[in-house]
Amino acid sequence: MSEKLLEIKNLKLYFNKGKKNEVRAVNDISFDIYKGETLGLVGESGCGKSTTGRTIIRLYNATDGEVLYKGENVHDTKNKSKTLEFNRTMQMIFQDPYASLNPRMKVNDIIAEGIDLHGLAKTKEERSKMVFDLLETVGLNRDHAGRYPHEFSGGQRQRIGIARALAVDPEFIIADEPISALDVSIQAQVVNLLKKLQREKGLTFLFIAHDLSMVKYISDRIGVMYYGRLVELTTSDELYRNPLHPYTKSLLSSIPFPDPEHERSRVRVAYDPDDHSYGENDEVKMREITPGHFVLCSEKEFNEMVNSSKATNQF
Amino acid sequence: MESILQVKNLNISFNTYAGEVKAIRGVNFDLKKGETLAIVGESGSGKSVTTKSIMQLLPKSNSEIKQGSEILFDGKNLVELSDKEMEKVRGKDISMIFQDPMTSLNPTMKIGKQIAEPLIKHQSFSRKQAMDRALELLKLVGLPQPETRIHQYPHQFSGGQRQRIVIAVALACNPKVLIADEPTTALDVTIQAQILDLMKNLQKKIDTSIIFITHDLGVVANVADRVAVMYGGKIVEVGTVDEIFYNPQHPYTWGLISSMPSIDADDDELFVIPGSPPDLLNPPKGDAFALRNRYAMTIDLEEEPPMFKVSDTHYAATWLLHPDAPEVEPPLAVQKRQHKFRGNNHTEGDVF
Repeated sequence: MSEKLLEIKNLKLYFNKGKKNEVRAVNDISFDIYKGETLGLVGESGCGKSTTGRTIIRLYNATDGEVLYKGENVHDTKNKSKTLEFNRTMQMIFQDPYASLNPRMKVNDIIAEGIDLHGLAKTKEERSKMVFDLLETVGLNRDHAGRYPHEFSGGQRQRIGIARALAVDPEFIIADEPISALDVSIQAQVVNLLKKLQREKGLTFLFIAHDLSMVKYISDRIGVMYYGRLVELTTSDELYRNPLHPYTKSLLSSIPFPDPEHERSRVRVAYDPDDHSYGENDEVKMREITPGHFVLCSEKEFNEMVNSSKATNQF
Repeated sequence: MESILQVKNLNISFNTYAGEVKAIRGVNFDLKKGETLAIVGESGSGKSVTTKSIMQLLPKSNSEIKQGSEILFDGKNLVELSDKEMEKVRGKDISMIFQDPMTSLNPTMKIGKQIAEPLIKHQSFSRKQAMDRALELLKLVGLPQPETRIHQYPHQFSGGQRQRIVIAVALACNPKVLIADEPTTALDVTIQAQILDLMKNLQKKIDTSIIFITHDLGVVANVADRVAVMYGGKIVEVGTVDEIFYNPQHPYTWGLISSMPSIDADDDELFVIPGSPPDLLNPPKGDAFALRNRYAMTIDLEEEPPMFKVSDTHYAATWLLHPDAPEVEPPLAVQKRQHKFRGNNHTEGDVF
């Protein structure tokens, strides 16, 4: 695979650290994101997937751990211009297109805010030309620039959010449940748009979602989170074909597919974290079972999984 | 099979400052005993308004159910009932589960009392009897430690548990019809699967009929016996779950189905329904879907299509089913599904 764009090393984010009500929202997570790929992050609400995304882009300051962007630790830098540059290359698309656009700003000011901040346009004409181009890129037209967010539908607003993220010509975009608030028919429009942009601009995505069928469709690799920890990480095909962690199995067995026959034959597996019965000396960490397929497990589980995957590979 | 609820020629408008919004424009369907009918469609298609009108929950101040609309239940036309008479039906014979379990319970009332309330009101249970029954119901919906938790308040429960409580309230009087308006949309997939299983089991136990509103086709495939697809205030296609998923006829249904990635999705691009839903302030003259429909013909813009019969259980409102209509090729994803359907049922080449 191509070069690493982002390395996340032992990232931790604790809310109320050291207090009685400490919440380990992100608990020692490590993974890499390669240039040009889409990494999906899934898990149920409260598992820490959004917090992970927000910590990477530094909306939260990490409790511990490192985020390396092209090999540089971008969170610790004191250098202002470097921070500004980092903010430009990394952008975010938010879940709720109703809450993420300032209702009192016109669309062209919303989109151009980043352009102004980073001084990307030299003249007024250049600025509005950039805004018009962006609107066209996301499938809106230039007439929309003078309007306010409330004049748009949910799908259109999400396009404005995407245009805003693209305005500063980023390399890496964190999309935090960008389609969850949209209707099915509109979801497809937005997903196709994201895919097109990725092809044309060579973007890298971190795609956070809980709708697994869409995640599988858009992602090259998928990470599964449970209670602040990453429990499994592999390519999307492998995850669906050969899920190894019991939580992943349970999650996959609960997604309803739009196929009645598949639904009739579904067998649901429940996940109970106590089933692992880890001893005190068990070191539970991410281990590579087959090349590129990581699972959070103990030494003993690791051996079992390796053996069973060897057995399946023989057939 | 016998029908328990019949909706005939339902027309509902809302009076707004901008004018009259024709939200429901001639909806007909019937609900059979013991079945689950799913109503699908995008936001604004009229799914929730239809079911709220069955419960007579629409605000009287700005909504109007048009003359000639009939909702027949138990020999009565619910549209014509007085508020007093409707109170006897609501929560007893027909009850409802709402989308958001966080807001559909009373936060200041212990859950046991909330479940007991309809029993005291409708079944003239004593308080003691009602609380005993509430405990039974909590066991039925699978809430852990019901004896202690019956005395707790809604905020002490998780989202999935609250939805179980809402279901217990809805089922308290053994309703003949249960309306579930997106009951799992606010829940996580793992919890959603539990709630769907629970509803299916309970349906068998207490023999109720369910109207299930959702926009998630995966959920529909899981729970439904029959499916009605709504668009622009009308039902555009209705059929058994297999007919809708494997042999859809209406281009809007095609669009819905193929805009979701399939299980073995290798499609390069998802099928997209272009544009946005129709403006029901000024409903279009012909087929409401015509402007977003790549298969639209001239007649679609001029005249509304009637319901064409595909089979005894399957009807669709599209001119494509007219004998004079040209053959069209549905999107690839739909063709694959149709292939599966024919493969299973061997309808092709069968002699009738």
